[in-house]
Amino acid sequence: MAQKPKVDPHVGRLGYLQALVTEFQETESQDAKEQVLANLANFAYDPSNYPYLRQLQVLDLFLDSLSEENETLVEFAIGGLCNLCPDRANKEHILQTGGIPLIINCLSSPNEETVLSAVTTIMYLSSPGSGSPPELTAMPVVQCMLRFSLSANTRLRNLAQIFLEDFCSPSQVAEARTWQAHSALGIPLPRTEAPQQ
Amino acid sequence: MASSGGELGGVFDHHVQRAVCDTRAKYREGRRPRAVRVYTINLESRYLLIQGVPAVGAMKELVERFALYGAIEQYNPLDEYPAEDFTEVYLIKFMNLQSARTAKRKMDEQSFFGGLLHVCYAPEFETVEETRKKLQERKAYITRTTKNKDHHMTKKKLVTELKDTKDFRQDFHSRTSGPCAATLNTSTGNSDPCLPYSCELPLCYFSSKCPCSSGEHMGWASDSSWSGRNRAGTVEHCMHNDSSQKIQMKPFKNSLACPGAQKATTSSEAVDRFMPRTTQLQERKRRREDDRKVGTFLGTSTSSNAVMIGPLLPHIPKVDMHDDSLNTTANLIRNKLQEVFHLCPNLQKTSWKMCVQVVH
Repeated sequence: MAQKPKVDPHVGRLGYLQALVTEFQETESQDAKEQVLANLANFAYDPSNYPYLRQLQVLDLFLDSLSEENETLVEFAIGGLCNLCPDRANKEHILQTGGIPLIINCLSSPNEETVLSAVTTIMYLSSPGSGSPPELTAMPVVQCMLRFSLSANTRLRNLAQIFLEDFCSPSQVAEARTWQAHSALGIPLPRTEAPQQ
Repeated sequence: MASSGGELGGVFDHHVQRAVCDTRAKYREGRRPRAVRVYTINLESRYLLIQGVPAVGAMKELVERFALYGAIEQYNPLDEYPAEDFTEVYLIKFMNLQSARTAKRKMDEQSFFGGLLHVCYAPEFETVEETRKKLQERKAYITRTTKNKDHHMTKKKLVTELKDTKDFRQDFHSRTSGPCAATLNTSTGNSDPCLPYSCELPLCYFSSKCPCSSGEHMGWASDSSWSGRNRAGTVEHCMHNDSSQKIQMKPFKNSLACPGAQKATTSSEAVDRFMPRTTQLQERKRRREDDRKVGTFLGTSTSSNAVMIGPLLPHIPKVDMHDDSLNTTANLIRNKLQEVFHLCPNLQKTSWKMCVQVVH
């Protein structure tokens, strides 16, 4: 992980995270913003940081950054969300603050990592069965996943397949297939496609 | 971010070693120079790609070196992978993700037989089932870790009837997720109560058909709902604690539009029966200060200013023990008793006589 090992106690940790957030808000350098966002996104991997991240509203920071023009910032932000969304409290916050449309938008990014993180985030935000927010298995999303499941990109293909198998009902998938035959779907595959292994 | 097949490590972008970042602000420079990169569960994998291995027939030594970090399930050279002259590329598959993470961290940029190894994750080699398992384990790990932290926190708060049922459910949950817990030796190195389970490391873990994988598929479904019920009581506590500490820290001031309404609901959701730790500490401190103000230490009478409420206590003649320190102690105890009985008048009748006998 691109993160130095934890040495300082959590008191120091909160101060450090606070400094990162402050720098992100105040800096004008895109480089610095990217570095800080990457740093925060990596911190989001470790559950022991979640109380601090919620306190500092880093979740909102990530969600806001999804609308940035800088693709790298979007990649890092959705990566951060992907890291912390399996946690229930974080998940509820994301759902309550209307994060779903922003995350679904990321499915159409030309950046491979962004799309992968978005697919995984959508899966973590869904609960199998009826508890899941309906937008996560809406027709456009299912159709998008169907296309991804045919991709030459193994990672994308795997994730899409898991989504269709575990989070969609067979009827949803069948319906999406029927629709897809007739419509010209606009969500493109990411630009960086790897040759088949 | 176009990829080209002919370049070194150019088959996949995530295999490419990125340039080290040299423009970091001082306060956030790490110990080792690192590139700017975010690691997600998608990027990480049990499969590691090792490039730059000198072609000196040292596969055995290479595998042995990596095996220091955990059991290896399989390994093979990748002959078709583009490699620098006189070097080889290997693929090593670890038994669990944590070993792979550690191995990657330790072995990347290490010298080996005169060459510099470049180690990266290779998630594209995963099967669908392996990817699925990886995602489920991550979720289980987070649920378990957060549940343990919540449990630890709620212990320190005022206990409600929720705790008994919660303990039962937690035990049950840790039992069901036991085999799945085996994969993670917790990079945080915290005292994970589930560790006894992972020490058992059931033999099932080493077999390719791990029974927990089918159990886990259910866990994928049941986990969220299970943890949902389990955590329903604790989430508010967690959030309440956070919101109470907000006053001490500067929150993230968003210059962009932010749904403030949602933020307001989280703090208003706070349940009053739980006092956050800081408030309890303040409460105790306040009481101590009140005690001190009353000035009982030197046995001065509780006051000419105090309003007397309740029946006048029988005046007990003070016995002189002919020793200053003993008298001081006796006075202290006497005064403390008086204080206590002012606060808890019920005690007077029964306990007073008992205590008085002790003191005298």
